[in-house]
Amino acid sequence: MLDYFMFLVDYRLKLAKRMLFNKKGSLIGAVLAVTIGILVIHVNFVIFQGLFDAIVRDISNYRNGDVLVTDEADYIDKSDLSIVSWFERIPYVAGATPRLSSTAEMNMTKNGKLIEETRVPIVGVDPFRDIKASTVHETVSEGNYVFSRNSIVLGSNVAADLGGAEVGDSVKVLVVDRFGEDQIRRFTVSGIAKSPGGQGFDYTAVVHIDTLRDMMKRPGDTGSFMVKLNDPSKASEVKEFFLKSFPNDDFLAETIEESAEEQLAGFRSGIAMISMIGYFGMMSSAFAILTIQMMLVNGKTKEIGIMRAIGAKRKDILIVFIFQGMIIGAIGAGVGTAAGLGYTFYAKETKMSFNNSLPLEVSYNWEKIIQTALTSFALAIVASLYPSYRATKLLPVEAMRTV
Amino acid sequence: MSFSIEKGEIVLIVGSSGSGKSTLLNMIGLLDHPSNGKIFIDGVDTTTLDDNKISSFRNKKLGFIFQFSNLLTDLSVLENVLLPRQIGGTDGAAEKEAIDLLKAVGLEKQMYKRANKISGGQAQRVAIARGLINHPSIVLADEPTGNLDSVTSETIVQLMKSMAKKLNQTFIIVTHDRQHFGQVDKVITIKDGKSYEGEQPSEMEVLV
Repeated sequence: MLDYFMFLVDYRLKLAKRMLFNKKGSLIGAVLAVTIGILVIHVNFVIFQGLFDAIVRDISNYRNGDVLVTDEADYIDKSDLSIVSWFERIPYVAGATPRLSSTAEMNMTKNGKLIEETRVPIVGVDPFRDIKASTVHETVSEGNYVFSRNSIVLGSNVAADLGGAEVGDSVKVLVVDRFGEDQIRRFTVSGIAKSPGGQGFDYTAVVHIDTLRDMMKRPGDTGSFMVKLNDPSKASEVKEFFLKSFPNDDFLAETIEESAEEQLAGFRSGIAMISMIGYFGMMSSAFAILTIQMMLVNGKTKEIGIMRAIGAKRKDILIVFIFQGMIIGAIGAGVGTAAGLGYTFYAKETKMSFNNSLPLEVSYNWEKIIQTALTSFALAIVASLYPSYRATKLLPVEAMRTV
Repeated sequence: MSFSIEKGEIVLIVGSSGSGKSTLLNMIGLLDHPSNGKIFIDGVDTTTLDDNKISSFRNKKLGFIFQFSNLLTDLSVLENVLLPRQIGGTDGAAEKEAIDLLKAVGLEKQMYKRANKISGGQAQRVAIARGLINHPSIVLADEPTGNLDSVTSETIVQLMKSMAKKLNQTFIIVTHDRQHFGQVDKVITIKDGKSYEGEQPSEMEVLV
């Protein structure tokens, strides 16, 4: 009954639908072409955008926060307490923490053998504030995070390079202070940090910030402040507010996109290329639709002749086949989007990881999802234009002679 | 050749194979374009019309019945009958008229069947109904019984004749089966590229 109603509303739409659905093989082929095109884009997006977002997430969580504050003069000499307190008054701020970085030489005796390791990045943290602004402490797979002035957390690779350092081992650390003097301290390993993805502290040692300040002869100095927000979208707002509030200082403040720009630039162009490949895939789908539509036109030559004979204009024939393109596009876009969303849902729910290590940051980008669906719908129509045009060129008498 | 046909007449065009009967019918039906000469239908010189106007003219002024019925197999019987009306622009009365026509040709019980699910004779009856739905000036039938057995052919012929009488409808019919049609208003014989009114050369009035 609905079919009949559709016929009364527009016989061309109805005819297009009937012709298409009575050629199920062609319909399935064309719909699959659109579906696969969309699915490829969704899968690419889940994997590559997920990987990109995972890296951004980890850089933000472990190193830069949502806003990173540094100073033009390498070190910030303002009281870390005052800066942290200033940030924590802002409702968007989840936590702020000072960090100080340097390079160290380390050695330890393991099984009677002295093992040395040079040029190890060393980061000083405030253990009580750090856990509010960073998730580095969650990467400590054995033992505990830094909890005292003489405890050290070794990245898993550093621990391995030191001959397999374990929790409780004693490590000697040498740092060159601001005057060029060697400063040596002995630390007890409190934990081993290991994180997937390469953005964690696997190649770094972590100590108490005050200990590192002492060793570097930089009492009260801070290298950077890592600020974590409840709502990362407010990063620019917080950054601008901070810079306006300290107009007489030489602070630099950057959002995660700015502070990690160098690390992310390569990924960005990689993702752009992959997306382009996805859209080329969609173009291939369009060619598949064009071929199938040509086959449909050829298969319906006689019907086109009959319609022309009983008074259908060229534009009516054109509309019938464009409607077919629209039906293919609509079903393909629907099925493809559903399949893509299904894959995204699966990736999100299973916490899909890249190379079984870095968990992808999977999100539903509705703007992109709608854009992809609309693009494939439009491409299906565009791909139908030429076959539709060809159909209008058939002469009724000759077309009706077709068996 | 030159001839004129009055409203309500049943005219047969006969002649041997290859004599040009179907070509003539196609030209009257605006499916083919004459290389010269003029065709007037309802006072309109159809040879001067552009493609869009030809389509509209075919839709509104002409009905077609083909040898192989040429129904759209993707549509139902009712939808096939309605199609010319839909092409011309739908109106509220179309469905009722289509159903009335299907009743007149005895196919009201088949109206929701797919067009490829009915017999050849039934399909030709649907084609007759389709040809009449837009109240055309002329219904053009090209070998309407050419693909049917003699019993079904007789039924179709009688149906066309009765519809012609009932609706005062002009029919121009190209056929090989002269004997099936019995008494008609006019017979045009095509021979050697010329048309004659009458059935035997001796009886024929040379028109051109």
